Amino acid sequence: MATTRSDPRLITPELLRDLRTLRVTVFHPDDQDGEELVQQLRRIGCQAQAFWPPFPTLPDTADVVFLAVRPNMPMPDWTACREGHAPAIIAVVTYENPTVVEAVLKLGAESVIASPIKAFGLLATLVVARQINLNLRTLTKQNQRLESKLAGLRRVEEAKSVLMRTKNMSEEVAYQVMREQAMAKRVTVEQIASAIIDAEGILSFNKA
Amino acid sequence: MSESEPIRVGVLFSQTGDISLIETSQLMGTLFAIEEINEAGGINGRELVPIRYDPASSPGLYRVLAEKLVLQDKINVIFGCYKSSTRKSVIPVIEKWNRLLFYPTLYEGFECSSNIIYTGAAPNQNSVQLAEFMTSNYGARVYMVGSDYIYPYESNRIMTDLVMQKPGGDKVGERYVSLSATLADFSSIIADIKNVQPDFIFSTVVGDSTQYLYKAYAEAGLNPREMPIASLTTLEAEVAQMGFDVAAGHVASAPYFQSIDSPVNRSSLANFRRRFGTDVVPSAGWEAAYFQVHLFANAMRLSGSDAIDVLMPCLLGAQLDAPQGRIQIDPSNHHTCLYPRIGIANTEGQFTLVRQAIRPVHPDPYLVTHSLGDWTIKLGSME
Repeated sequence: MATTRSDPRLITPELLRDLRTLRVTVFHPDDQDGEELVQQLRRIGCQAQAFWPPFPTLPDTADVVFLAVRPNMPMPDWTACREGHAPAIIAVVTYENPTVVEAVLKLGAESVIASPIKAFGLLATLVVARQINLNLRTLTKQNQRLESKLAGLRRVEEAKSVLMRTKNMSEEVAYQVMREQAMAKRVTVEQIASAIIDAEGILSFNKA
Repeated sequence: MSESEPIRVGVLFSQTGDISLIETSQLMGTLFAIEEINEAGGINGRELVPIRYDPASSPGLYRVLAEKLVLQDKINVIFGCYKSSTRKSVIPVIEKWNRLLFYPTLYEGFECSSNIIYTGAAPNQNSVQLAEFMTSNYGARVYMVGSDYIYPYESNRIMTDLVMQKPGGDKVGERYVSLSATLADFSSIIADIKNVQPDFIFSTVVGDSTQYLYKAYAEAGLNPREMPIASLTTLEAEVAQMGFDVAAGHVASAPYFQSIDSPVNRSSLANFRRRFGTDVVPSAGWEAAYFQVHLFANAMRLSGSDAIDVLMPCLLGAQLDAPQGRIQIDPSNHHTCLYPRIGIANTEGQFTLVRQAIRPVHPDPYLVTHSLGDWTIKLGSME
């Protein structure tokens, strides 16, 4: 993502200072509204490009994507592209009925602006949508890291109990053994734990 | 509409209240241009007639009177407003009825209404140049004093970002006073300034209370040569109000000063004084108010109508020889290409120009982060 050099001495938030380097893709029909939207984005200083109809996949060079949501045309399915590095999406709506709002929700848009487009309010929407998008991405990443950490801990616990049961080890000794194995083989304790659990699964037929 | 029927335009400047000094000068600049246009045969032979109301420096009244101009007087074009808060009150009215406002005042940027032509400076046309001049000549430790409303907050944010780009840059104080502040309100601030010893003071105090900041400064015996007050709004009119001796040595940044040495400026000033006397002191707000009426008249000579839809295409990109130089409306954002200048107040109540733009600077009202040292906006030295 494009960011300006961060200087903690400047009092203006980075999300605002970023506006001049922001890459924005606009999916909007080539009409007066689309023109006003692109013009205002350029006044703000964003690098804006406009296309219609929307691409089937999200452009990976964009920080923000505007999409005109029209009730009479199929919406692109961007769910698959929205994992990992994904731009903020701002829907542009001409109707506010449940059909259109549902399409906006399905899209996973961070914000909505109304047609006819007004210059006033766009900058604030842009900045808030990016903040939500960045927060969501940070949280998703943190969540994935925590989930895998938790799964690893669970495996270590299970492997420890295997060793304690089959080798008559104390809890500390069992963990010590796994740690030494991990160091010797240069892998993580979690991987050693997985190996022990697998091995126990394979070898346990004797006891069955 | 008849070919000879007068063209009525709305004029909204306060002649009473906190902001009346500067808005009266803008009113006179407007009326001066209207007189000139009428004497030269009007607009395609039609007389220009101002419909004026006094909004008394109150944002609520600006809104009510703008509505009156539109609904009762059937006016299509309004000239007016100094403070951002009053412009913001007029916007909903002119946007709802699709009318045009000419706004002749510097402001903090971040706006581009399709129903406004902005003829005052955006921050990239005055703040950046002032920060550059102050930090390179006096130092980068700044103390900020402002009136308590949106323009000072945003101007101070920009100034803080700018001084922080200098080694040793620091904001050592930030104080706000009410628009009706008196001498007593500034005494504790001046005491604090004496104590903190900044390199310079940045004032965004506007209106009648401006004089009290400078008077309190002078009474405390501070020296403008060592620690001047820098401002975007303390110009000739404010200087005349506080007294020449009180103002001498302090610094201002604006696209227009009376001291500009050009034939257009000299003749405009002479004509103005002949008609309106010397009570009203011309400054940047006066000049923008004056040239924007001529911009309107020129555009309407081409469009033949003052309806915004036909008038606007003739305004966007239009050029004019204004007292400050040849200005142009930037078609992409409705603001004006202007000539930034730095002046230091002298004992005659005028500003001695020390820096001046070599070419017009394009308005960039949405610039969030201004940079010092941008050579495209570098001013020519006049020393």
